[in-house]
Amino acid sequence: MFAKIALFELRYQLRNPVFWVATVIFFLLTYGAMASDDITIGGGGNVNANSPVAIVTTHMILTLFFMFVTTAFVANVIVRDEESGFGPLIRSTQVSKFSYLFGRFTGAFVAAACAFLVVPLGIWIGSLMPWLDPETIGPNRFSYYAFAYFVFALPSIFMVSALFFAVATITRSMMYTYVAVVLFLVLYIVLNSVMSSQPEYRDLASYIEPFGLAAFGNATRYWTAAESNTLIPPIDGVLLANRAIWLGFSALMLALAYWRFSFASKSISARKARKADRKQAKLAAKEPRLVDTLPQPTPERAGWARLVARTRFEMGQVLRSPAFFVLLLIGLFNAFAGLFFGNEIYGTPARPLTFALIEPLMGTFALIPIIIAIYYGGELVWRDRERKFNEIIDSTSVPGWSYMVPKTIAVAFVLIATLLISVVAAMLIQAFRGYTDFEIGKYLAWYVLPMSVDMVLLAILSIFIQALSPNKFVGWGIMVIYLIGTIVLSSLGFEHPLYLYGSTGTMRVSDINGANVGWSTGWWLRLYWGAIALVLAVLAHLLWRRGADGALLPRLRQLPRRLASPSGAILACALAVAALSGGWIFYQMNVVDEYRTQDDVEAQLAAYEKKYLKYENLPQPTATDMKLAVDLYPEETRMEARGTIAFVNNTGKPLEQLHLRIADSDAEIRSIEVEGATLDMDDEENKYRIYRFDQPLAPGATGTFTFATRRWQQGMRASGDDTRLVRNGTFLSNSEFVPQIGMSRSGLLSDRATRRKYDLPAELRQAKLEDESARNRNYVGNSPWVTSDITVSTVAGQTPVAPGDRVSDEVRGDRRVARFVSKQPILAFFSIQSADYEVTRRVHNGTTLEIYHHPNHDFNVERMLDAMEVSLDYYEANFGPYQFDYARIIEFPGYASFAQAFAGTIPYSEDMGFIADNGDAESIDYVTYVTAHELGHQYWAHQLISSDQQGGTMLVETMAQYSALMVMKHLYGEDNIRRFLKYELDNYLAARGSEAIEELPLERVEDQGYIHYRKGAVVTYLLQDRLGEDRVNTMLSGLLDRYKFKGPPYANANDLVGGYLSLARNKQERDLVTDLLQRITLYDLKADEAKVTKRADGKFETEITVDAEKFYADGQGQERKALLSDEIEVGVFAQKPGLGAFERKDVLALRRYPVHSGSQTIRIVTDTRPSFAGIDPYNKYIDRNSDDNIVAID
Amino acid sequence: MLELQNVTHTYPNGVRALDDVTLSIPKGMFGLLGPNGAGKSTLMRTVATLQTPSSGSIRFGEIDILENPEELRKQLGYLPQDFGVYPRVSAYDMLDHMAVLKGISSASDRKATVETLLNQVNLWGVRKKAIAGFSGGMRQRFGIAQALIGNPNLIIVDEPTAGLDPEERNRFLNLLAEIGENVVVILSTHIVEDVADLCPRMAVLIDGKISLQGAPKELIDKARGTVWAKTIERSELDEMREKYEVISTRLFAGQTIIHVLSDGAPGPGFQAVEGGLEDVYFSALASSRRAPADIAA
Repeated sequence: MFAKIALFELRYQLRNPVFWVATVIFFLLTYGAMASDDITIGGGGNVNANSPVAIVTTHMILTLFFMFVTTAFVANVIVRDEESGFGPLIRSTQVSKFSYLFGRFTGAFVAAACAFLVVPLGIWIGSLMPWLDPETIGPNRFSYYAFAYFVFALPSIFMVSALFFAVATITRSMMYTYVAVVLFLVLYIVLNSVMSSQPEYRDLASYIEPFGLAAFGNATRYWTAAESNTLIPPIDGVLLANRAIWLGFSALMLALAYWRFSFASKSISARKARKADRKQAKLAAKEPRLVDTLPQPTPERAGWARLVARTRFEMGQVLRSPAFFVLLLIGLFNAFAGLFFGNEIYGTPARPLTFALIEPLMGTFALIPIIIAIYYGGELVWRDRERKFNEIIDSTSVPGWSYMVPKTIAVAFVLIATLLISVVAAMLIQAFRGYTDFEIGKYLAWYVLPMSVDMVLLAILSIFIQALSPNKFVGWGIMVIYLIGTIVLSSLGFEHPLYLYGSTGTMRVSDINGANVGWSTGWWLRLYWGAIALVLAVLAHLLWRRGADGALLPRLRQLPRRLASPSGAILACALAVAALSGGWIFYQMNVVDEYRTQDDVEAQLAAYEKKYLKYENLPQPTATDMKLAVDLYPEETRMEARGTIAFVNNTGKPLEQLHLRIADSDAEIRSIEVEGATLDMDDEENKYRIYRFDQPLAPGATGTFTFATRRWQQGMRASGDDTRLVRNGTFLSNSEFVPQIGMSRSGLLSDRATRRKYDLPAELRQAKLEDESARNRNYVGNSPWVTSDITVSTVAGQTPVAPGDRVSDEVRGDRRVARFVSKQPILAFFSIQSADYEVTRRVHNGTTLEIYHHPNHDFNVERMLDAMEVSLDYYEANFGPYQFDYARIIEFPGYASFAQAFAGTIPYSEDMGFIADNGDAESIDYVTYVTAHELGHQYWAHQLISSDQQGGTMLVETMAQYSALMVMKHLYGEDNIRRFLKYELDNYLAARGSEAIEELPLERVEDQGYIHYRKGAVVTYLLQDRLGEDRVNTMLSGLLDRYKFKGPPYANANDLVGGYLSLARNKQERDLVTDLLQRITLYDLKADEAKVTKRADGKFETEITVDAEKFYADGQGQERKALLSDEIEVGVFAQKPGLGAFERKDVLALRRYPVHSGSQTIRIVTDTRPSFAGIDPYNKYIDRNSDDNIVAID
Repeated sequence: MLELQNVTHTYPNGVRALDDVTLSIPKGMFGLLGPNGAGKSTLMRTVATLQTPSSGSIRFGEIDILENPEELRKQLGYLPQDFGVYPRVSAYDMLDHMAVLKGISSASDRKATVETLLNQVNLWGVRKKAIAGFSGGMRQRFGIAQALIGNPNLIIVDEPTAGLDPEERNRFLNLLAEIGENVVVILSTHIVEDVADLCPRMAVLIDGKISLQGAPKELIDKARGTVWAKTIERSELDEMREKYEVISTRLFAGQTIIHVLSDGAPGPGFQAVEGGLEDVYFSALASSRRAPADIAA
């Protein structure tokens, strides 16, 4: 009996639309996450996308999402009978309570478990896609999938099934069950965020986190990439306990359900009965309005009534269906998570400004309207037929249009409603996060409107396909193929939006530049695809199945006859609009602009490298002076630049050739004239020219060339609008419009798989540290030191900015013209910017500090100015004079998220610091941190520039990080520096696991961010701590003096390592410098326990047991133990270090003690009773586990 | 009123569902009797403009249905053999929706229509309940209510009483009888009593062909004296089938009563039966079954 009921239930569930919708969504999610960059689940990194760790993580995260589906299955089991009134019938049969209840539960659970199988399937199929980078895909092993599915997914699905089955049994209401799901999620998220913020709860979390995320995270926390790619954690210890706890919990829930379930139908409460009675009485009391003869129909006047009624009816059918509800919940859940936790930088949230929420909202929610459009497209077309009501409707006098038109309008309204609901959700989040400036107009114009049109296009395609396909499953199948097809085609180089149905380009939104990027192209494409959709809609209307004839062929035969109708006229008009708009778009994209696929771009870059990289080390003259005139015409997205560049031959040998090039594809060379030289070779496609001097340029001789270039996106661009030269917020760097002398590596292909595809070496490694010849080139594209004189003109409403003193700035007619002259040499590596800025100014010790920002983005402007002040104070006192009398931070549209240091000017993305919310005392004040970092670059890059070889970025990026950390130390105090160090440390540890080539010691870093920023920050902080801040700074300022504004040979890492070594006073310190800078060294410092005793003299003695280890790692992450013998800080505290409330006064004792490998005990005596004790409490060491350094004292 | 001329319909799979059907149906109730699979529903659907026959013509009054289905639909009420319901929609809302579809454009007309009809079919008390929860009889009454919207001149009801209990069936037939005076009502059924009770005129459709048509009373008169009954043991049945043309058998108090067709007294123990419509129908069925056998012989 049990088996029969289970089987029956399973069959029922398999026919349930929820099952099919769920399988399709979850397949698409996982497949998409594997095969496309547009869909993401959780993190990424360079660990193989199909590594066991990635597979398990995907399974766990999706189980969480799957909760809505699982609940739909199991809750339906009980509630269904209540709703259909079938319950009493079944209960009166011989079925035992056990068989009935658990038979059905088993059936529903098995259905859920089967549906979830598409997750491993999606990963597996996704991992086979040919366009994926083979380096990110490991071997597919069945055991990985089985482990993820059986150890994590299945028990979690079982737990969710049991829990909500119990809830449904008790409440007998779908609604309450879903309320319980939401409640569970909220609790789960709250609990999670509490536990993840407090590492001491990590162990507890591993036991009680229901999906196994914490337990799995614990088991794999310190795995290297190699381990993550090949290992499965053993099922024992905490992991086993976690799974067992939750299986036990599930059993408990099932028992509860059994106990609470009664066959007797619940007699309704007296109150409910009265209510029902009253309702019945009210119904009965009302007399029908009777007429003797029924009114005659007037079909010719019923058009509007029919449209409204049909539309309302169809909408009601969608809105009241459970699948819609489930879909909406899944979407909102994903969106809530994305909007709550998204956009964090340094763990600090951004203010939820509308423009900043729209892209995450699209990313997290958009799949839902897509599914709705496709799914309900099918439902609407087939509904009447499936409900067997089609014959009744078909035999009424409704005209043909009242099938297609109301259904399309209905699905459009449902989609708009869905989008509006997500907007309300987003605004709730804004309100919840304390932001109440609701910009409804932006939501509508930037999100609801374009998305609605895009979704309606999709819905019409779906309706069209369904109208033609023999049944709805075939139709859905075709739509899924279409979805996957769009991903596949664009991966294969078929990218033109004119043949990818519904492709409307990418719109980028920004407060500065509005929706200008992608707006007009998007709406032209919407017009074009809208016309095509209208064609499809008319065809669907003409081919509609009316009556009993289902076959397509007879309908197709009737098509020509039916075309002779108003529909035919609409079809013709739509075709005409499609042809005209398509023609116009084609003209714009392929004739006015150039249509280039990603493949074309890559092929060109590969050819460029093959042709010209050989000139990288060709001796070339060096630029010395630049005089530029740059005219910006933002409304036309046009720039005209003219300039004269003076150069000198400082190679010591006569030079015959001058190589001039512009690597940027958007720039156009209008003319170049080289004094005393003729054009020898002109590669127009690659914009690479070789001039031959009439007389070889003698050593020390100078010359000049003049140029005129243009940048102009005239037409629409198939691959998306230019984001550099825009209506408001232009940000161009010199390499985008000034011809460069000689070849460099910047801008070449970097993706290893792509490089191999074009027969290039997988990577271009930097010159070895030992290669002295590499010191002839510097690390920023070998940009020389030049004097500059830059005139920028733009429209009167915008402010132009370039490096240098602003010697003039005036409005001439409708143009604003400003001239910038630099007194100091600057690197020929700079930017010009122009936008409608508000400027906030402050003068500090003779330096004018300016922030150019969007009028509404003034939240952190004062903080930035403060940061500039303290930074400059510290740097001038410790490193030497600041070379400019101005420092400018200039906001640019958030098309990219970074800040960058040019000479005295710092472009700063609108996505970053400007909207950071530093309200939380525990958060990292990255606005100050980043500002200090960029100002640090005014010394480290713009005074001293390092060579283009291993370790080069250590002198630039690591030193800027060090400078910023010093500023933070002085601003926040030494005792609050832990949060910065820990952030950097954790990032380093997490990132080194995903290294693709090899991890290198700091002195040999090859432009690896996690090493030169993250590790560099921690390491240089520890070095100044040990060697003395002043001593280190004296050494650094000496280094600056030696290399300031100097050409080759450039400084390299040996200078810096030598400097640190020169400060070491003993073997321990020398070893430390070597360990930190020249090796990959990892520590494991841990406080085991601490006991305090009150001594006879009233003082307190704390006995701390600490464990310490040191490891050396090689580039692949293989570690070996090394002997540790160092002096490391050990201390006792009144408060826990690292928390927001922690202050200097909470430090009761803190000093260095000799620490060696292994366990040891340290005694500290204090006047007051300490609460916490620990080793390296501020995380100055590269500690593999930075969370176990502190223990609470018993 | 409704004239079918040589209507033939062949499905793509070769099944000839209608074979040269010619019928003339006047105002009033018209019964279309036939076994399952005889082509009744095909005929009903064809008249209801849901299907185009392979050949032949159908006229309703002045309207050529095949040329101008839209015109007929304005005067048509159709209750298909098997229709479903939408979930979560009440009888009132659904009927109102149907009234819009049928072209009752003004809201007050719709209110009058819906409420009158709900009252007429005795569903007023349950108007706010979802149709999905209705019993079969209630559902059929809802079905007839929607067919009556807008005073159609042609009402087609396809197998409406199948599966109804006797009480529901009675109630339903009474409803039909009320309306079948001034308009054409075609009632297709395989239940002889339905036709016998209600229809002044009828036809029998077997294997796509009209094998009988006329007024039930005339047909019964015509058959008088050709049907004989005998009570036999079960074991004798095969022998009887050999000897006589048995048109029906039924059990009565443990014994088998057979009806046979014969122009004169077939033999000892047979008694002439005061034939009912059922016997007429069964003899028609029997003769159509015999026909192919004759050809084969």
